[in-house]
Amino acid sequence: MTATLEERPAAPENAGGKPAIDKAEGWRRRGPLLPALIFTIIVTQIPFILTLYYSLQSWNLVRPGSQEFVWFSNYGDVFADSQFRTVALNTVIMTLGSVLIAVVLGLLLALLLNRQFAGRGIVRTLLITPFLITPVAAALLWKTVLLDPTLGLINFVLTPFGGSGTEWISQFPLASVMAALIWQWTPFMMLLLLAGLQSMPTDQLEAARVDGASAWSTFRELTLPHLRRFIELGVVLGTIYLVNIFDQVYMMTQGGPGVASANLPFYIYQRAFLGFDIGQSAAMGVVVVILTLIAANFALRLIFRSFSGEQEAA
Amino acid sequence: MAEVVFDQASRIYTPGAKPAVDRLDLTVADGDLVVLVGPSGSGKSTALRMLAGLEPIDAGSVRIDGRDVVDVPSKDRDIAMVFQNYALYPSKTVAENMAFPLKMRGMDKDERAQRVRQAAEMLGLTEYLDRKPKALSGGQRQRVAMGRAIVREPQVFLMDEPLSNLDAKMRVQTRAQIAEMQNRLEVSTVYVTHDQVEAMTMGDKVAVLANGQLQQYATPPELYDRPKNAFVAGFIGSPAMNLLDLPRSSSGVTLGGVEIPLPRDVSDAAGSRDKLTIGIRPEDWVLESTDADSSTVVKAVVDVVEELGSESYLYAHLADDTSTSVVVRGPGRVKVRFGDPIAVRPNPDALHVFDAETGERLP
Ligand SMILES: Nc1ncnc2c1ncn2[C@@H]1O[C@H](COP(=O)(O)OP(=O)(O)O)[C@@H](O)[C@H]1O
Ligand SMILES: [Mg+2]
Repeated sequence: MTATLEERPAAPENAGGKPAIDKAEGWRRRGPLLPALIFTIIVTQIPFILTLYYSLQSWNLVRPGSQEFVWFSNYGDVFADSQFRTVALNTVIMTLGSVLIAVVLGLLLALLLNRQFAGRGIVRTLLITPFLITPVAAALLWKTVLLDPTLGLINFVLTPFGGSGTEWISQFPLASVMAALIWQWTPFMMLLLLAGLQSMPTDQLEAARVDGASAWSTFRELTLPHLRRFIELGVVLGTIYLVNIFDQVYMMTQGGPGVASANLPFYIYQRAFLGFDIGQSAAMGVVVVILTLIAANFALRLIFRSFSGEQEAA
Repeated sequence: MAEVVFDQASRIYTPGAKPAVDRLDLTVADGDLVVLVGPSGSGKSTALRMLAGLEPIDAGSVRIDGRDVVDVPSKDRDIAMVFQNYALYPSKTVAENMAFPLKMRGMDKDERAQRVRQAAEMLGLTEYLDRKPKALSGGQRQRVAMGRAIVREPQVFLMDEPLSNLDAKMRVQTRAQIAEMQNRLEVSTVYVTHDQVEAMTMGDKVAVLANGQLQQYATPPELYDRPKNAFVAGFIGSPAMNLLDLPRSSSGVTLGGVEIPLPRDVSDAAGSRDKLTIGIRPEDWVLESTDADSSTVVKAVVDVVEELGSESYLYAHLADDTSTSVVVRGPGRVKVRFGDPIAVRPNPDALHVFDAETGERLP
């Protein structure tokens, strides 16, 4: 449908290129945005520059007057810190694992909701609710109501099968946090993918039916490529949110035992506000920003390229 | 190759409402191209989709090559369909699009490639095989859609307004190509259009639909010369036939004070009706001198002149009845202008007479 629309002769308003906007007009149009821009710079870029500055200092709040300029030794310490490496790996597992599992579950639910059945509206509303719950409340819910070894519902349900003794949060801390994250983010993915499914042109699906495609072939060869952009968007948005996640870690495990379930934001917080090592945590913050930028720019792009390549080859 | 039969086939979208297709009876002879034509909402697409297996058949049956397909899923009906917006698969190349139905039927790769190559050659798509549909023009996309149908070598082609997204010139060209290809492949084809010119030029036979009901099913000349009712008469032909409700007189009807005699069989069939709908095609008027006696010619005043070069159409209203308008074909380079008087006389041998109430042809 869109393809044929694009093909039609350009509508008159698009016909003769963009008229040049002169400078004054440009200012008049964009000027009002300036305060917002300045505010954004003040609250994001200035702290970042300060962080850069702190990261070159040896500065521990516990020892007043200890502040001195040490070049890059903080960075050396960061990379020598084996806990930092563990936490970095945790972050990758927590973020990508949660996002990918949420996308898969969201896709399954979206496929379900894309069908007609009685009570679909209610089911949809119920499925969305986890996303509407405050993260802290959700974390508490998981920690106490569901995963508590003696009072939790999960162990209660598992009792008949002999699985009642599990100390979920201390035995599987990372998985427990991820379960809460996935529970909360699946509805988001589901909504996004449902929108994608509903924007699928019906005539393509009908053409596939006439062409003899089975339900699975139709899904694999047509629906999935159509959903690609929606999946990409879901992965990018989910990653951006989850890489920074703090609430669930703080509420459920405090990053423990040890650093088994800590992610980078939580570890940096620990170093800065529990260890009072400003220089060290500033350096970590800078490393994390750089790593995140690299991840955003290369890793994600790589994932998508192989993903789309797979579709083409199919 | 197969005969397609609609046997009292109906489709009712909402229970209790008027059927979208109402007891359709239609037989498409093996190898024929049959056009379903009618105004928007007349049920053409629905009828085609019933044949395609995309809509259920609520009553009656549809048979392909003698087999009742009511409960046969689309993919097992051995049909191929060309959609109005082509429905190409955007993530696939032209070659992959065309090979898709073959792949879904488990044909091996080499044979697939071979068939796609042949079809692409026939349609002049060879150099575009590696492109995505997005990078093609409207006409090329249309041909890819055709190609995807051809490679299947199905028993029946179904086409739902396949030319409606092309510009006028492309449409005329492609129209001829489709008709030529269909002739060569000899595959029975059901073709849906709202354009009566397409219907008349392409169809071996044409089915005119209105309100879900079949109005007439005939060859194009028959449809033009002997429309079964006033609806078909007005729908087929451009400009449309003049349809005038005229009072009876002793030997026929009167138009603008002029006595128009009716043939014996017609006036017999008309019986005691005091009003008849008379159909006169624009070319069935004879232009007379304006000095002629007003008891033998109808006087009219020209509103609009459409000059087409080889001929012209005069849109006029009657001199003594401004509410009655007529369209008259004249020669090219006609001298009359807006506001000029003209005098016309209908050719008595070319009159179409319909019941004024039911619209049925008399006799
Ligand atoms: N999915 C549908 N649900 C309900 N009514 C429909 C649907 N599709 C078509 N109709 C109705 O059926 C009638 C015939 O439609 P259609 O076959 O599309 O007409 P055409 O193709 O001749 O323009 C129309 O009155 C239309 O409103
Ligand atoms: Mg239609």
